[in-house]
Amino acid sequence: MSLALADSRVLERPRMRISVPRAALLLLIIAICVAAAFPLAWMVLTSLKTPQETMQTPPVWLPATPNLSAYAQVADVVSLGRSFFNSAVIALTTTIAINVTSLMAGYAFAKYEFRFREPLFALLIATMFLPPIVTLIPLYRIVGYLGLTGSLAGVVVPNLANAFGIFLMRQFIKGVPDELIEAARVDGASEFRVLFQIVAPTVTPAIAALTLFAFVYHWNSYLWPLTVLLGNADQYPIVISLSRLLSYNRGAMNTGLVMAGATLAVLPPVVLFIVLQRFFVDSIVSSGVKG
Amino acid sequence: MQLSQRRSAIAMLAPATGLIAVFIMVPMLLTIWLSFQNWSTQTGFSTARFVGVQNFLDIFSQTTIGRDFKAALVNTSLYTAASVAIILPLSVALGLLVHQKVAPGGVFLRTVLFSTYMVPMIAVALVWSKLYSPTEGPLNQMLGWIGIGRQTWLSSPSTALVSIVILNVWQQVGYFTVLAVAGLTQVPEALYEAAKLDGANPVQRFFTITLPLLGNTLLFSAVIAIINAVQVFEPVALITQGGPVNATNVLTYHIRRVGIERAQGGLGSAMAVTLMLALIVAIALLFAVSRRADRT
Repeated sequence: MSLALADSRVLERPRMRISVPRAALLLLIIAICVAAAFPLAWMVLTSLKTPQETMQTPPVWLPATPNLSAYAQVADVVSLGRSFFNSAVIALTTTIAINVTSLMAGYAFAKYEFRFREPLFALLIATMFLPPIVTLIPLYRIVGYLGLTGSLAGVVVPNLANAFGIFLMRQFIKGVPDELIEAARVDGASEFRVLFQIVAPTVTPAIAALTLFAFVYHWNSYLWPLTVLLGNADQYPIVISLSRLLSYNRGAMNTGLVMAGATLAVLPPVVLFIVLQRFFVDSIVSSGVKG
Repeated sequence: MQLSQRRSAIAMLAPATGLIAVFIMVPMLLTIWLSFQNWSTQTGFSTARFVGVQNFLDIFSQTTIGRDFKAALVNTSLYTAASVAIILPLSVALGLLVHQKVAPGGVFLRTVLFSTYMVPMIAVALVWSKLYSPTEGPLNQMLGWIGIGRQTWLSSPSTALVSIVILNVWQQVGYFTVLAVAGLTQVPEALYEAAKLDGANPVQRFFTITLPLLGNTLLFSAVIAIINAVQVFEPVALITQGGPVNATNVLTYHIRRVGIERAQGGLGSAMAVTLMLALIVAIALLFAVSRRADRT
């Protein structure tokens, strides 16, 4: 009771003093949130409409009787389970590998003294700014030499390490006290044990952020899988299967089907973001601006 | 200790460095080498035949190859300039809204804006192609409510590219807003207090304190926005296929079509090298301009 009273007093005071700008700003924020969320809301609403409703002019906003039949139909058109499995394999394998390779390299750059450390680091970081299209053509051939064209391995193998991860881990591991590492070494721990049992647990925010970054990037990635999989539909991740729904849609005119597929594909990265967002925002702040 | 540490350093660095060398640095060097070769992407590198700068002459010639490439270069430049010109001011405005303490909801706004950045570009392209639909789409319907006539959006050469810019801004602006907020939190509160005592109004405070101190953040944002913009691919590949009448033929799409689908690896590589050089020039100009702005 007294708590509620205190709360209302805190809320009331500023409202009375600056009510007009405060209300105007709040309305503006709400309006922007609505506008930003609108395309996704439209996607979900359309996925629940009947085929007739999706084709009406002017468009119907709310389905009269929301139904999930479009979702069932998606599974008939593309092998949904298989696509989700492929996307999960791509996103999880790259995410785990990127964490491991970035922790190792980040640790070396943060805590070892060796010749050419700074130039090597600069060279690796420069690759962060290279648009993938610049290397696409020879990379396609190299993966062909390795015999990985048309397979999930071909999608994954070139993406097991990246510069952003190394950069992020170096930034965070620099902050780990040297005494902690020395103490573990004195106890006879190998360097790998020092890294994975002592250092890694102290940089979990960086690991969380890199996990989100890598998972979302590789779940969403389209250009490289499309190029390397060469029409091998068995290996398609969900984003490529989605693009096939569209060509199916051109004949059937069922927009609901495409929106149902899109809704399903959007869920894993967005849910992961909501779970891990605190770390993601923090790491962008520390890597992007202060770094 | 010293020797074993050196050995550990090599072991720690080998996986990441090796992978990045084989799958990014070597391909980058090969792209440069291939740009001087006549080479089919379907064959091994050993079949490449040196042709000097012929590929570069071809992609800037008056033939179909040259016209298509130059159109893609122009489209990409327009697309990039428009994206940066919209994203930077918008991200600062939204950043101020997230950062302000007058009204609640700033952090929630950041979450909503950033969540669109998580959406696969393929899904973004699919959804927006429906929003843009001239007759069944809600955008023209809403424009009708406020008395604006039907727009052609993706279906006309004059509006297709800007329609793709808009969907791209919608997807990416949350990321740049987070960067702007990070810059804003580093502006010392004391400066605002001092300016307030001097009688500066909020607009004056923004232009004399906030904006100059956001310089580095804006420079970083601009570089990232440029690099992101040249990567636009999904909406073009999925919805417009470069059309109508080549209006949305952008470089990532065009280079892939030439270098992979048509297997003209030499020509595609020459285009990729040109893109790389254009990027370096654009970013160098950006740094030069910002240094000059700093000095004045």
